[in-house]
Amino acid sequence: MSDRPAVVRWLATPRFVLIAIIVVLVAVLTAVKPSFLNGAFVLAPLITSITVFTVVGLAQMMVLSIGHMNIAVGQMAAFGAMASGISFDLFALPLAAGLLLGLVAGAAIGALTGWIIARTGVNSFIVTLAMSFALLGLVPTVYSALSTGSAFVVKPEGFDLLGRSSFSSVCLAGWCGPAAIPLMVVPVLVVMALVGLLYQRTRWGRELLLTGSNVTAAELSGIPTARRIVMAHTLSGTLAALAGILLATSIGSFTPSIGDEFMLQSFVGPILGGTLLAGGYVSVVGTFLGITLTLVIRKGLELFGVGIETLNVLLGVILLVALSADRVREIRLRRGRAPGSAPGRPSGSTPDRTPDAEEVPA
Amino acid sequence: MRRTTLPLAVTAITAAALLLSGCTPQASSGGGAEATGLDTVKVALVPGGPHPYFQPWIAAADQAKTDFGLGDATFNETAGWDQTKENDVINSLVANGYNAFGVFGVSPTDINSTFQNLKQNGIASAALGSCPAGDVNDADFCLSTDTEAAAYKAAQATIQAMGGKGVLAHLTGVNVDSNTQRRIAGVKKAVEETNGAVTLLPDVTDIDTDITTAQKAVADLLASKGSEITGIVSTAYNPAVAAATAVKESGLPISLVAIDDDETILAAIEDGSVYATIAQNPTGQAYVGSYALAKLASKECTMADPGAIIDSGSFVVTKENVATYDDERTAASEQLMKDFDADHLVCS
Repeated sequence: MSDRPAVVRWLATPRFVLIAIIVVLVAVLTAVKPSFLNGAFVLAPLITSITVFTVVGLAQMMVLSIGHMNIAVGQMAAFGAMASGISFDLFALPLAAGLLLGLVAGAAIGALTGWIIARTGVNSFIVTLAMSFALLGLVPTVYSALSTGSAFVVKPEGFDLLGRSSFSSVCLAGWCGPAAIPLMVVPVLVVMALVGLLYQRTRWGRELLLTGSNVTAAELSGIPTARRIVMAHTLSGTLAALAGILLATSIGSFTPSIGDEFMLQSFVGPILGGTLLAGGYVSVVGTFLGITLTLVIRKGLELFGVGIETLNVLLGVILLVALSADRVREIRLRRGRAPGSAPGRPSGSTPDRTPDAEEVPA
Repeated sequence: MRRTTLPLAVTAITAAALLLSGCTPQASSGGGAEATGLDTVKVALVPGGPHPYFQPWIAAADQAKTDFGLGDATFNETAGWDQTKENDVINSLVANGYNAFGVFGVSPTDINSTFQNLKQNGIASAALGSCPAGDVNDADFCLSTDTEAAAYKAAQATIQAMGGKGVLAHLTGVNVDSNTQRRIAGVKKAVEETNGAVTLLPDVTDIDTDITTAQKAVADLLASKGSEITGIVSTAYNPAVAAATAVKESGLPISLVAIDDDETILAAIEDGSVYATIAQNPTGQAYVGSYALAKLASKECTMADPGAIIDSGSFVVTKENVATYDDERTAASEQLMKDFDADHLVCS
C-alpha cells in the first residue's frame, strides 16, 4: 500500500485529470459560446451521445480487461440492433422482448468470438477483425432481404420514450424534469453500476482482471481462463448490442450503418480513462470521462463550425495521446512492480499505484 | 472510501447534468422562431455529406442571401454521411441561431425524426434533394428530384439508344438508401416495358462513394461483361463520370446514359461517346428552397399543404440540347418560384 493520502492518490489518477479538463473546457465553451448550455439542441444531444458511446466504451473495456481487443464492436452493435429491428418489424414483439432478443444476439456473437479465440489461441485482433468482415457482409444482406429500403422502421410502444424523450416528460406534483437530460441516461447508469460491481465485488470480475494481468499465473491459480475469455467477449457483444439498440432508438430506426462510428471511440474512452491495453486494470468512471471529454470537444468544435476533417484529425491526435499515456502508465507500473512484488499480481496491487473501487479484487 | 468511488461518481455525474440542464437559457426553446422579417431569417443548407452534387448549393445560398435580404445563409457539409453527425450539425446550427433548414437527410428512414424535432421548436425545415422514406414528410415541404421518375427516364433513353434490345447494366449509389431503391424500381419498370427484349444485369450498387471506387467498379464490369453489355445507365454521379471515361477509352459499342451534368459527361455527350444524361436541379433546390424557407421562418407564410412533395425537375440532355438545357433548367426554377407563391405558400 502507498503511504500517500487517498486524496493525493486520487488527484494523480487519469480520472481527476479528465474531470479537471472537462470542467475547464465546459467553462471556456460556456463563456465563449453561451449557446453551449442550450438544453434541447446542445446538452440533450450531447448527453445522448455520451450515454451511447459510454456503453460502446464499456464493451471495449470488457475485452481490454483480459488484454484482448474487439475490432468488431461496431458490427456486433449492428448485429444486435438488427435482431431487435427484425423482432419489431417482422414479429411485432413488444419493446422489452425485442430489446432482450437484441442483447441475446449480441451476446451470442460475442460468445462465438470468445469461443474461437479460446479454442484456437489466435490473437483477438485477428479473430475480431475476421468477425468484423463477416458481419460487415451479413448485416446489409439481411437488411436487403428482409426490409424495404434497408431499414426496420416499426417502432413498438415505448421506443421513442426510450430514445428520444427527456425528463421533461416525467412530471411529479406539477413539476417536470429538465429537458436537457434524456431518459436514456437511466439504463446507462444502471449498466455502468452493474459493470462496476462486476469488477469491484464479484469473483468473476477479479478473475477477468487476473486473466488480463497474467494469463499463466491466472491458470496456475486455478482460474478457468478460457471460460473467462468467452465471458469477456460475451459481455462485450452484449454491451455492443445495447449501444446499437440505444443508437437506433435515438435516431428512429434500425439501419445497417449503426455502429459505423463505434470502433475508434470504443478505444478512446477506456484508454483516456486509464484502462490498460495490456489488461488487468479497468476504470468504468474513467471510460465515461474519456468519452465525455472527446464528445465535449467535438460538440465545442461543431458550435464553432469546424469541418469534419479537423474533427477527424483531432480524434486521431486524442487517440495518439491516449495511447502514449497508456504506455507511460505501463512503464510506471513495471517499475513499481519490480522489487519485492510477486509476479502475476494484479496491477492494482502494485506499490506505485493504489487501486480503487473498479479495479481491485476484494 | 474505495468502495464508494463508483456510486459517488454516478451521483456526481447526475448532479452535474442536472445543474447544467438547470442553466438552459431561455433562447433554447425558441431557436429564432419569433422572426418577423426576412432579414431575421438565417437559412442553413445541410447536405448529407461531401459530394459534388451539392456544390451548386453554395453559390445558390449566397445568391438567395443577397436577393432575398436574408439575415444569413450558410452551407455545412460536415455530416460525413452519418445521420447522427448530421443531427449534431443541425443542432449546433440551431444553437448558433439558424432558424430555417434545408436538409438532404442521410437516412431517409430517420430524417423525419429530425424534422419533427425542428418543428416542435418552431423552426422551418425542408427536405432538399431527397425526401423522407415512406409516405410521410414531416418537413414543411420536400423539394427534390423524383428519383424513380428520373431513373425511369434515364433507362428509357438508354433502351432507345440500344435500339430497344440487348443487355443493360445499372450503376447506382448506396443500396441502403431508399432513394437508390426508388432508382432501381424506375430502371426495372423501364426494362419490364420491353417485354424481355432487354435483359437487366444485377444492379451494381454502393459505388458512388468516390470517383476511385466508381472507376474500379466500372473497370471490373467492363472486363467481365463488356462484350455482352449493350447499354449502361448510371443513376449516381461518380459512376456516371467513371463510366463516361471508361466507355470512351474502351471503344466498346455501349450506349451510356449518365446522370448529372459534370463537365466530363457534357464533353462526352458532345463527342458522342455518351448518348444522354439526366440533369437534376440542385441550384433550384437550394435557391427556391431558401426562398420558401425564409417565408416560412419569418411567419409571413405557411404551407398550403404541409409536407408537400414537389419535383424540382429532371432534364434529358442529349447532343441536340447540350448547349441550351441550362436555359430550360433556369426556366424550371423560375416556374418553381412562381408555383410556391401561387400554390404552395399561403401568405398573410
